[in-house]
Amino acid sequence: MAALAALPVAGTLIYGTTTVLKNIRPSTVVVAPASAARFLTQASFGPSDASIATLQSEGIPAWIAQQEAIPPSPTTLNYVQQWALSWSPTNPDTVPIIPTIVYNGIWKGAITNNDQLRERVRLALSEIFVVSFNTPVMKSRSVASYYDMLGADAFGNFRNLLQDVTLHPAMGVYLNMMSNFKENLATGQHPDQNYAREVMQLMTIGLYQLHQDGTPITDTNGKPLPTFSQTDVSGLASVFTGYGWYTSNPNAVGTLPAFAGTNKPLEGWVNTMQPYPSYHSTSAKTFLGVTIPASTMPNPAGDLKIALDTIFNHPNVGPFIGRQLIQRLVASNPSPAYVSRVAAVFNNDGKGVRGNMAAVVAAILLDPEARNDSVGSDPSLGPTFGKLREPVVQMANWARAFGARSSSGWWKIGDASPPTMLSQQTLNAPSVFNFWSPTYIPPPATALGHGGLFAPEFQVINAVSTAGYLNVMLRTAYRGAGPNDSKTGVPDVSTAYPTLTPLARDAGSLADKVSLMLLYGQMSAALRAHIINAVNTVNIPGPPATTAQINTALARRVYLAVYFTLASPEYMVQR
Amino acid sequence: MTTFNHTRRAVLRGGGALSVLGAGTPLALQLAASAAAAATTGDYKALVCIFQLGGNDGHNTVLATDADTWGRYSSARSAGITPIALMPVGTAPTPPPASPADMTPANWGGVLPITPKTPQPIPPGTTATSRTFAVHPYMPEVQSLFAAGRLAVVANVGPLLQPVAKSDYSPNSPLLPANLTSHIDQQAFWQAAYAAAGKQGGWGGALGDLLSGLNPVNSPYSLISATGGALFLTGMRAGQYAISPGPLPATTITALQSAATLNGSPTDPAELSAVIQDTSSLSHFANDYAGMVTQSITAATFVNTAVAAAPPIPAPPAYKSPFSGVSSPNSLALQLQGVAAMIAAAPRMGLRRQVFFVTQPSYDNHDYQNAVQPDLLGQLSQALAYFDATLRNIGGADISASVTTFTASEFGRTLTSNGTGTDHAWGSHHLVMGGAVKGGDLYGVYPTIGIDTGSFNNPDMVGDYLIPTTAMDQYAATLGAWLGVASTDLNTIFPNLAKFAPTNMGFV
Repeated sequence: MAALAALPVAGTLIYGTTTVLKNIRPSTVVVAPASAARFLTQASFGPSDASIATLQSEGIPAWIAQQEAIPPSPTTLNYVQQWALSWSPTNPDTVPIIPTIVYNGIWKGAITNNDQLRERVRLALSEIFVVSFNTPVMKSRSVASYYDMLGADAFGNFRNLLQDVTLHPAMGVYLNMMSNFKENLATGQHPDQNYAREVMQLMTIGLYQLHQDGTPITDTNGKPLPTFSQTDVSGLASVFTGYGWYTSNPNAVGTLPAFAGTNKPLEGWVNTMQPYPSYHSTSAKTFLGVTIPASTMPNPAGDLKIALDTIFNHPNVGPFIGRQLIQRLVASNPSPAYVSRVAAVFNNDGKGVRGNMAAVVAAILLDPEARNDSVGSDPSLGPTFGKLREPVVQMANWARAFGARSSSGWWKIGDASPPTMLSQQTLNAPSVFNFWSPTYIPPPATALGHGGLFAPEFQVINAVSTAGYLNVMLRTAYRGAGPNDSKTGVPDVSTAYPTLTPLARDAGSLADKVSLMLLYGQMSAALRAHIINAVNTVNIPGPPATTAQINTALARRVYLAVYFTLASPEYMVQR
Repeated sequence: MTTFNHTRRAVLRGGGALSVLGAGTPLALQLAASAAAAATTGDYKALVCIFQLGGNDGHNTVLATDADTWGRYSSARSAGITPIALMPVGTAPTPPPASPADMTPANWGGVLPITPKTPQPIPPGTTATSRTFAVHPYMPEVQSLFAAGRLAVVANVGPLLQPVAKSDYSPNSPLLPANLTSHIDQQAFWQAAYAAAGKQGGWGGALGDLLSGLNPVNSPYSLISATGGALFLTGMRAGQYAISPGPLPATTITALQSAATLNGSPTDPAELSAVIQDTSSLSHFANDYAGMVTQSITAATFVNTAVAAAPPIPAPPAYKSPFSGVSSPNSLALQLQGVAAMIAAAPRMGLRRQVFFVTQPSYDNHDYQNAVQPDLLGQLSQALAYFDATLRNIGGADISASVTTFTASEFGRTLTSNGTGTDHAWGSHHLVMGGAVKGGDLYGVYPTIGIDTGSFNNPDMVGDYLIPTTAMDQYAATLGAWLGVASTDLNTIFPNLAKFAPTNMGFV
């Protein structure tokens, strides 16, 4: 894999606690289970027994390469289509799809898809290139197709991702580049500026000029230098005019109703926006130091190429995107050196290619700062390293760790958005600013805030959401997630804990297995002692107890161990 | 008396009202009256910030209706495929289309007139001989509250570092707040003006810090958000507390309630309680999280007990869209129900000063403005009316003079349309409501409206933006002064306040 060409070959690196077996090829590195579980906590929706085994035998670099090579497939839109077919085998396109169906498709993919690295990275991308059901104009099939596009582009080139995001109808509608009219000097009508601003501010370069290590470039007074002004926003807004709804009807091409989406046909919601030259601005357009001169022939595609090339080549993109991806996968406060190493790979993957996302993701996960398995107990690094886990990743972590299944096959976990649930639902952020800001610092009264440390996910942590999480996970650990099955009364997504139940007679072994799956083997002695105490209060009856009575006791022991761990503050942090 | 007792002192001061009833008044009535007296004269004050997230279009919220202004307003907003110009006062509504999403201003009829008590000055550039005003057709409750003197309008407020003239404007000028049309930056300015002075936290939190001496020591209930953590409420000393919308503000942790909850396990919940509040980790992330869990546990018992003992707060009616008739839950009013429940319980919690934060999302209407903004304003209008009526009858007591509610939003929007909506701009108009508000009037200067064209050069606008004629600092400091913060402290919280006049606008 080209992305890994610059890296040392497997076998010369030590990833955590490793064992080199003697009777196999010397280049083969076997990763210890805890080390594998910790890596998979960063690189997937959590370890499963199978993924730990695979990673152990392949080693981390080869696993990344293998994962990045799995061809993408549109699993979310396929899920929606299967759902529609289940209601109307003959006319699936007419079946209304509520957002919950898309959420369930996303849950299914996150928990069951084998290309777990792609799954985790597309979640991260969906929090940078945000579209959301929070505005009622979004359409379910469109949002599903957008999420699949993020997956398909996760390991491609960033320039391609930027173009696909820009021209996807879900983004077009969400940030209003769809049907964006050129200016009208007579009436004062001006191009819509929403996408022009946010594509720079949130998705590519940010507000301030950055060094390669992500720290701001300042003037002589120490003031950060802005990357752009409102003038650049206006100039770029003129570029983003004249793209409208896709239509396959040759008679409609170029017409005002097609451009404005008067009928908004289904095909328009899932196909790339089309240029409509007559609605594209021909004025001079100045942005980021580039000027597209005024012309007599409107050229939407040509102007768009200049604009996206200019943004893509801005030196901020590597540190700006690199830092945010590190925050999503590994740590809230990466060192400047870590950001710089990742940005360097963004700038040049070793083969002269800029924006190679497969190489960037590999660089993030293989970095020594990410792969230091003892960082959590390091007195100097331990207090600040890591990040709060994302709630949707926690739910999937539980499901994957303990072999949960969906009784319906539809994985109906549903919308976890409310603060009394998980305060997060993929593709339902409150606004384009995501669930949290990459620069959020908790209040000064906290240790994090006192230290001026970033903790994005902490933005949704409060008295309501902590209780909400503990209540949702109580039901999840004991019974499962999603609506109760009307016949069995069991939640749609549940598990009998096949790997834990055999260990339940020995509280210590039970705690250790839960520790491996949820805490990569780093459960604290205090938590382990609490779990052993709690588990041992549940007696396993001897004769003449029935098998059912014994099984009930074993199950209660398992539930306690799982819930206590999910509920512990040490599980809230990934480090 | 024990059910609604802000402070002993307050009850004693209420004695004057009590004596009017005379000796023959039944005891129960006397008790109710004393509770009312305690509530109305007690030393309790609260500010409630309604933040309109996304940047509300003030041009379509409070309008100047003199012919000169209206002509320029209307022509700027009639361009594009979907005109967003509202109809003049008195226009009859046309029947709604089949789909509520296709509504246009014609379906709503004319804007609703409001008449300020004080004649308004004519700003340079406006040729009218007198100015008249109106509110959006979806806001009849606001129109009524204004007429009843319970609500005031503050015109053209926005972030400023110093007074600026049109000639001072250039993009990224150091005379202007940084990143003027960025959501994040302008929300931060509106919520945390004093961050400019090198301090973390919002001005609601700063007010809470300064007034915390009036509340029980280290009470976490001075600063309350119905919408999760808020920059506005972040204080250096006082913590903020998040509540759920609706009648029960605190969310209880089920697993701690009894051993039976843990699926029949005999495990003592104390074991779990120790786990979830463990702060012995090396990780700041884990320990700070555990600290929040502790706050949640402590609050759940204390808050819900106090709320249960306080007068009940009626649930808000569902929002009914005035022209389409479509009904939906009013999420803003539900947040205000939670706020009212906390205010009603404040005496039991020993609180005398509180600052609240609620939000209303989705004002960023670059497109589909006609389909979205009217219902947001309608929800706001109906929520304000609900909140005012609720505060006037807390278990029979009118405490509305102790609560001042105000709107905020990161910026106003462009005067001209981009086809079906508007873009980020600068100054905008805001509403202040409460029994202490000198309502029925318009404060500040309603600016000249209209983009430069031909010989018309609007001194109050650059391009599409209103240059604020009132600084956010003046607006906020007026509210802070009412809450009881000294002017020297206000100058610390709002470091640029002294550059503007007046520093107290007098609307409350």
